[in-house]
Amino acid sequence: MIKARGLTLKVSPEFTLSVDSLEVAVGEVFAVIGPNGAGKTTLLNTLALLREAGSGSLELLGRNALAPENKMFLRRSMAVVFSQPYLLNDSVYENVALPLKLRGLKDGPAVERALELFKITHLKDRNARTLSQGESHRAALARAFVTAPKLVLLDEPFGSLDARVKETIARDLKRALKAAGAAVLLVTQDQGEALTLCDTLAVLAGGRIAQQGPPQDVFARPATKEVADFVGVETIIPGTVSAKDDNLCSIQAGGLTLEVISDCETGDEVFVCVRPEEVTVSKSREAGSMRNHFSAKITSVEPWRLQCKVGLECGFPLMAAVTRQSVDSLGLKPGMEVFASFKATAAHLIKR
Amino acid sequence: MGFIAEGFRQALHLIFSGDPEIFGIVRLSLTVSVLATCAAALVGVPLGSWIAVKKFPLKKLMIALANTGMGLPPVVAGLVVMLFLARSGPLAFLNWLYTPYGMGLAQLLIALPIITALSIAAMQGVDTKFYQQVLTLGASDWQAIKVCLKEQRLAVLAAVIAGFGRLTAEVGAVMIVGGNIRHSTRVLTTATVLETQKGNFDMAIALGLVLLALSFTVNLALTYVQQRGAAAR
Repeated sequence: MIKARGLTLKVSPEFTLSVDSLEVAVGEVFAVIGPNGAGKTTLLNTLALLREAGSGSLELLGRNALAPENKMFLRRSMAVVFSQPYLLNDSVYENVALPLKLRGLKDGPAVERALELFKITHLKDRNARTLSQGESHRAALARAFVTAPKLVLLDEPFGSLDARVKETIARDLKRALKAAGAAVLLVTQDQGEALTLCDTLAVLAGGRIAQQGPPQDVFARPATKEVADFVGVETIIPGTVSAKDDNLCSIQAGGLTLEVISDCETGDEVFVCVRPEEVTVSKSREAGSMRNHFSAKITSVEPWRLQCKVGLECGFPLMAAVTRQSVDSLGLKPGMEVFASFKATAAHLIKR
Repeated sequence: MGFIAEGFRQALHLIFSGDPEIFGIVRLSLTVSVLATCAAALVGVPLGSWIAVKKFPLKKLMIALANTGMGLPPVVAGLVVMLFLARSGPLAFLNWLYTPYGMGLAQLLIALPIITALSIAAMQGVDTKFYQQVLTLGASDWQAIKVCLKEQRLAVLAAVIAGFGRLTAEVGAVMIVGGNIRHSTRVLTTATVLETQKGNFDMAIALGLVLLALSFTVNLALTYVQQRGAAAR
């Protein structure tokens, strides 16, 4: 398991990694996401004992990881997978067997098991430098799991693989992680990758953990504007809570009144966060059960994943995700007057 | 121009007649240079690798020293070794002056910075992340260096080839430390100089040809090993 308290590492005069508290239990997959330069790789390298923390405490598998005498034991109890596979100019078998040989252990059955786990037994005699990208990543993962590590650190383990290959390898990795029962820390920029694998999610921004918790919570209820930005909340509207009735807050923003369920108080300065998936676009004036219903003008229509993103101006900018079929059937295009709606429970308030 | 052709003719005769003196000189040249190269490689390759992969305060100074040492004039190396081995020198107790051991020591001093500096360059070609990856696989520092050396074997072998090449061509240091004593410390280069000075061009050319052939054979063997590694890539 991983237990870090008050861990700091000065990377440059402008940037310091500072982790107040981080805990990963045995069997837990803890993902750290964050934008470029947030300090994800620095955090992983510190946990992998490749960089020395300036202050704080770090406990890995119950041992003080900052004590030099524990370094080799801990390194030999963990596995680290980087975004590049970094394979030797040797056969796949020799690559996978390397961690065992470095420990003076016998290879053979353990290597065969690891090769089988990642479905590369048929490649064992091939030179690792002749493998495809996907096969190389599989070899790197087999090499990581050959020693049955108690601690697994993954740094963007799928690199720049295409989505289909990534999906199949992620499935095998998930199975391997479950079987290993190790404490796992994954750092990635890819939110989909994190959601596929993790039990707990943390967002790192500017060298600090801005929020951590179950992934659904982090995505639905971002704690700061930076987190909201990173987890894909495209509409972040500054406003003020003007009234509160039970938990229903009325927020003044862009000359309009928005209604959001929240525990904020009257007078609070807030950001109203609305995910594009929560916004409905219609031609009808009927609001239905939606408490927030505004007339809006379409500013843009752009393809987004399997849907379209529709930019709206309704006193404040609002982004909606609409299926391509709806875009076609409603004939949505820039300049068109429509109505935008979202539920009071679909928005989230962040105190400014 | 006739004396050059005559020199070549006599040289071939000398070589193929199995002249014992020439073979003695060849044997000594080969022994001293090969052993000095091996010793320099045993020290220089790990030292250069360590300097390349580790971070420490005087790293740049050490790299600059190794690079400077690559240009060390053999006569200076010979002079230093001679002063150390001379009767009043700190290593006089070894009694190595005017012996093949002293010549080997001087050659070691010449080859060591070459092999060290080129090993540093070779190992600095290893991606830091690759080295870190090997560490995370459970390697100690030396195990990680060994794994990286295997990856960089082509460049490291080139370092050893360069060191050996310098030693086979070297004359100043072995002349000073060995003294070019017949049947004792005479090697191909010193013998070639002597025979040239005496006007025995046939002997000088013969020795020169043998030196070339010897250098070519050893380098061919090393290149074969090196390129076998390249073919595996």
